[in-house]
Amino acid sequence: MILTVTPNPALDKFYWLRELPDIRVPVEEGILIGAEKSLTSAGGKGLNVSVFLAAHGLETVAMGFLAGHTGQIILRDLLARGVSANFVWIEGENRTNVALIVRGREYHPIHIHEEGPTIPPEAVGIFLRKYERMLRRASFVVLAGLLAPGLGPDFYRELARRARAQGVRVVVHAGGEPLVRTFPERPFLVKPDVREALRLGDLPVRTKEEILVAGRRAIQEGAELCLISHHLTGDILISADGVWEFEARVPLSTFRNLVGADDALVGGILVGLAQGKDLIESVRYGMAAAVASAEVEEKLCLDRERILAEMARVEVRPA
Amino acid sequence: MRVRDFLRRDLTSLDRDTPLGQAIRLLERSGHAALPVVDEEGRVIGVLSERDIIRALLPGYLDLLRSASFLPSLNQMAKKLREIERLPVERFMTREVVTCRPEDTDLHVADLMLRKGLKQIPVVDAQGRLIGQVRRIDLLSHL
Repeated sequence: MILTVTPNPALDKFYWLRELPDIRVPVEEGILIGAEKSLTSAGGKGLNVSVFLAAHGLETVAMGFLAGHTGQIILRDLLARGVSANFVWIEGENRTNVALIVRGREYHPIHIHEEGPTIPPEAVGIFLRKYERMLRRASFVVLAGLLAPGLGPDFYRELARRARAQGVRVVVHAGGEPLVRTFPERPFLVKPDVREALRLGDLPVRTKEEILVAGRRAIQEGAELCLISHHLTGDILISADGVWEFEARVPLSTFRNLVGADDALVGGILVGLAQGKDLIESVRYGMAAAVASAEVEEKLCLDRERILAEMARVEVRPA
Repeated sequence: MRVRDFLRRDLTSLDRDTPLGQAIRLLERSGHAALPVVDEEGRVIGVLSERDIIRALLPGYLDLLRSASFLPSLNQMAKKLREIERLPVERFMTREVVTCRPEDTDLHVADLMLRKGLKQIPVVDAQGRLIGQVRRIDLLSHL
């Protein structure tokens, strides 16, 4: 079983627009933007990974904190997609994240993210007890996404420490200080989220050279593997044994929705490993899943045949 | 059809030492009318329902009379709740739990629900660990 932890789940709402009005032009009344199409689904990095895994027939349990009416919608969506759910219910309302996708500029979506409810200490205690119990059934745990208000920057480190103590391999799919603090707990794989700042800790990750320096430091500080995105269609995998560059040969014009593509990447790697593929082939499958997801309007491409077809376009070379 | 085809993979549950007041908040927030109680291994050891809680708040003779119409107000229940809200749910849960397995048939579960008057049944694995629930509506919507 693969356990995923999403401390700050969301309801993702996507709106496709023919064009975005110029809001700097003065108008007498408010601006009405008509959406050509919309989609709603449970969101948050770990939940997306769980949905991907469940669609591949893998047993997965999603954990985190749910609240209010939005929490009920998130839960209902997860259960309908075959994900087992073990959440702590708190007061308040889960966040809703909105993405505005303008036709022709799909690779530059506009995001509006809410903060999410504050997690009280009592709920953290209940969560940790459930987490310990679920670790006994898990082979991997994925710690994913933004921390909710009320959780300290050592939250993921503590979860990684408890997983390591039970011999469960840890994947950290997050960003900022909470990610960097997990390194001493020797996570199996770290996938830094660099959407808000192209940095890993205090190091920039804009160029290939910078990515190598930052990735090698993550390995020195304890991570076994570090996978860092380089442009929209490339990733660099760094380990103590070597460095590999992955590149998907696809034009950006084929992309329809980038949200969730990096979650499909992480999910794809785990599917590959669960199916007995070696590490490099697993990352190739993950890259193919990410590209296939970016090419459909739904957040995730769950069509295995289509993902396998995309693998032909993913090249890998030692760096 | 087998239970695994329509079970609700919701693992929301209570620990045996969860205080009753906290359990009431969880029932309210999660929208459940009853929740399984599990031990440290995740095995189902009981179920706490709204009915169990109300029974704990009412004087024993009212349970015998099967009516609350003899109560002058709910103040007595509120006072009783303040007295017992810190006590663990294992004091109030129903211990004789009817469970089913993923490989059980829909007919078997329907029969259990009818014979025992149950609205939902916890689904457990070979070790007795909670892996989901089946509600009457889950059965009906898959007919």
